[in-house]
Amino acid sequence: MSLLYASNDWYPVADAACLARGPRKTRLLGTDLEVLGPFDDPVVTDMGGRRFPVQVRYDHLWTTIGDDPRPLFDIPEADEPGRRHVPCGVVRVKCSPLRAVENFLDIAHFPFVHTGILGAEPHTEVATYKAEIREDADEVWATNISFYQPQAAKSAAGGITTRYEYRVPAPTAAVLYKTCPPRPKAMDVIAIFVQPRSETDCDVWPWMALYDDTTGFADLAQFQQEIFLQDRSILENQRPVKLPLDPKLEIPTRADLTSIAYRRWLKRRGAYYGALTDQT
Amino acid sequence: MSDFTLYTYVLSASCYKVRLMAALLGVPYDSVAVNFYPGFEHRSEAMLALNPSGTLPILRAGDLVLTETQAMLGWLATNHDRTGRWYPAADPVLGPQVLQWLGFAARLTGSAGLARLHAILDWPVDGEAVRKAALKDLRELELLLTDRVLAGRTWLVGDHPTIADIACFPHAALSPDAGLEHDGFPAIRNWLYAVRSLPGFVTMPGIHELLELREPADPQ
Amino acid sequence: MPSMPVGLSRDLPPKRVMRASVGGQDIVVWRASNGDIAAWDNRCPHRGMALSHGFVRGNALACLYHGWHYEQSGRCSYIPAHPDLDPPATIHTTRFGVTERDGVIWVDTSGTAKPGMLTESLDALRSLIAEASETAVVAACLRTPFEGTMPRPSDSSLYALGTIRLALLMNPLGPSRTQVTVLTSTGLSLQTRHALSRWCETLRRNAEASGTGDA
Repeated sequence: MSLLYASNDWYPVADAACLARGPRKTRLLGTDLEVLGPFDDPVVTDMGGRRFPVQVRYDHLWTTIGDDPRPLFDIPEADEPGRRHVPCGVVRVKCSPLRAVENFLDIAHFPFVHTGILGAEPHTEVATYKAEIREDADEVWATNISFYQPQAAKSAAGGITTRYEYRVPAPTAAVLYKTCPPRPKAMDVIAIFVQPRSETDCDVWPWMALYDDTTGFADLAQFQQEIFLQDRSILENQRPVKLPLDPKLEIPTRADLTSIAYRRWLKRRGAYYGALTDQT
Repeated sequence: MSDFTLYTYVLSASCYKVRLMAALLGVPYDSVAVNFYPGFEHRSEAMLALNPSGTLPILRAGDLVLTETQAMLGWLATNHDRTGRWYPAADPVLGPQVLQWLGFAARLTGSAGLARLHAILDWPVDGEAVRKAALKDLRELELLLTDRVLAGRTWLVGDHPTIADIACFPHAALSPDAGLEHDGFPAIRNWLYAVRSLPGFVTMPGIHELLELREPADPQ
Repeated sequence: MPSMPVGLSRDLPPKRVMRASVGGQDIVVWRASNGDIAAWDNRCPHRGMALSHGFVRGNALACLYHGWHYEQSGRCSYIPAHPDLDPPATIHTTRFGVTERDGVIWVDTSGTAKPGMLTESLDALRSLIAEASETAVVAACLRTPFEGTMPRPSDSSLYALGTIRLALLMNPLGPSRTQVTVLTSTGLSLQTRHALSRWCETLRRNAEASGTGDA
């Protein structure tokens, strides 16, 4: 049931860097796949040779194993001129794909998990912000978030108060819009695209579209990799492994509005792959 | 005024050994981020010209280029530690003991280090084999650290932390990244804590800062 | 579920945290600044993070994920995201029985911890985990000589190794996984203790070799 729903989304399975080194054997929703380059004319098959549809978007190769897939979400900022695109490679994590997304949406952990970068004591208070399910787009949005950050981005010269907006366009993808230090009127775009290998392990593809003309690619990618690897230690140590959608096991506070909305939205959609409910 | 340049990758435990040693000794340096992953830049023509073995880190100080991590630790201690305690090379007992541990550190890189790269970045190695080797090496480290604990000692060699501790620390600390928890290794756990408590200690992803040492109202 | 030995007091100084397991239950054991020890379900009720990754401030254990502080009673005392909030009493950890005796930490998940009785005073040697069943460890002990002498069982958990007495306290972690906490008679030389530590390695090798390898 949850697998059927999950199969009708598009998921990342490769980027140009990995296909340049050869075919990629991988796993999506429990199905073993092989991804063959070149990146501009790729082929995705299962072990029996059955082909799946592909599309290249946001510097990644996406595929779907469903018969009636929902369209891949749109991130219009990806096409804005002047933005540097930074695909950061893939990191494997033994966690539920939904836990990976929820962690990305959380800010109260910044002073403790990303100490000195995205947050620092004593600046731990999370002021009230707005989280909602936008019915027209059927997406979760969190807005009006602000947080003090010692090193908000590679391009930041010192500590600043950062503005954040989060958007969840699909159960296993999340997009962050945050203050862009070199261009105060614009927002940097940072996303994670999660490839669920199974309900309890996933490959995470972080990606960014930034306004930063001075920092080298390696520095930009490694800034994001450092932050994600700090989260990995948390993600592999949460129990239960699957994300509980019923509120009995885990206690949220007002700082968790986005997570509360995300869990409610998943339940409403029947997006149970990687989740724990009374039914799973 | 920087004393050296380090070609580095933020997720590399080997690079971190050098960054940590430099931080503990208070040595300023310039960092050049190499796109080890996803770009495999360490295998580019330019990087291979600098280091034919295609590894990171690479340390450059004037005309000197070092490509073995343990040698970099020795260079830092010899050139920047006036106390001589971080690398007591001239001591007839402590000196060889440090060298012995540097050899062990290289073994750990090949077992626990590869197990971690396999678990995190799907590195093309036999995951089961490296994990088995890592477990064996961790058990050896636990045994030898237990000897030290029973003798009332904290550090691997002598009475002061040495480059031996720094060389072995990262891969031991990061073994949980590959699912090798420290539950059965109390001596390792306590030694890791001692290293993390050193003044000037810096972290890397997977090795957490000791937030207990910081009072909440402390300025950053 | 009887009380189980989960480690040595020596390996948990004040302000330190460790992870343990009793009967399949994941446990955090920690010691406050005042020296008091506590054992809880290893899970923060906020978002399920392992509390064994946490840090001690004063006499409270803070979760690494969002810094929620829990005092020794198990009650949440501080939520950094809401510094002015007095956390409701409903936010608390699940506590287990814990006590220390003979330098060993004992945890009981069903009530007050009652340590196994030892008939004599012993020194803590070390605690280790073997990928072998408790039965395999006991059997291996009886065929692993120490300096030419074969261990003879004397009392429950106790073995005689010539003039040396040895206690092997078992905590089964699974059908083929056992935590073994080893104590020895007092007054042994450092050299002998080092040798006994190596005997533990041989014991483990023998216990693991005898298993079918089926974890």
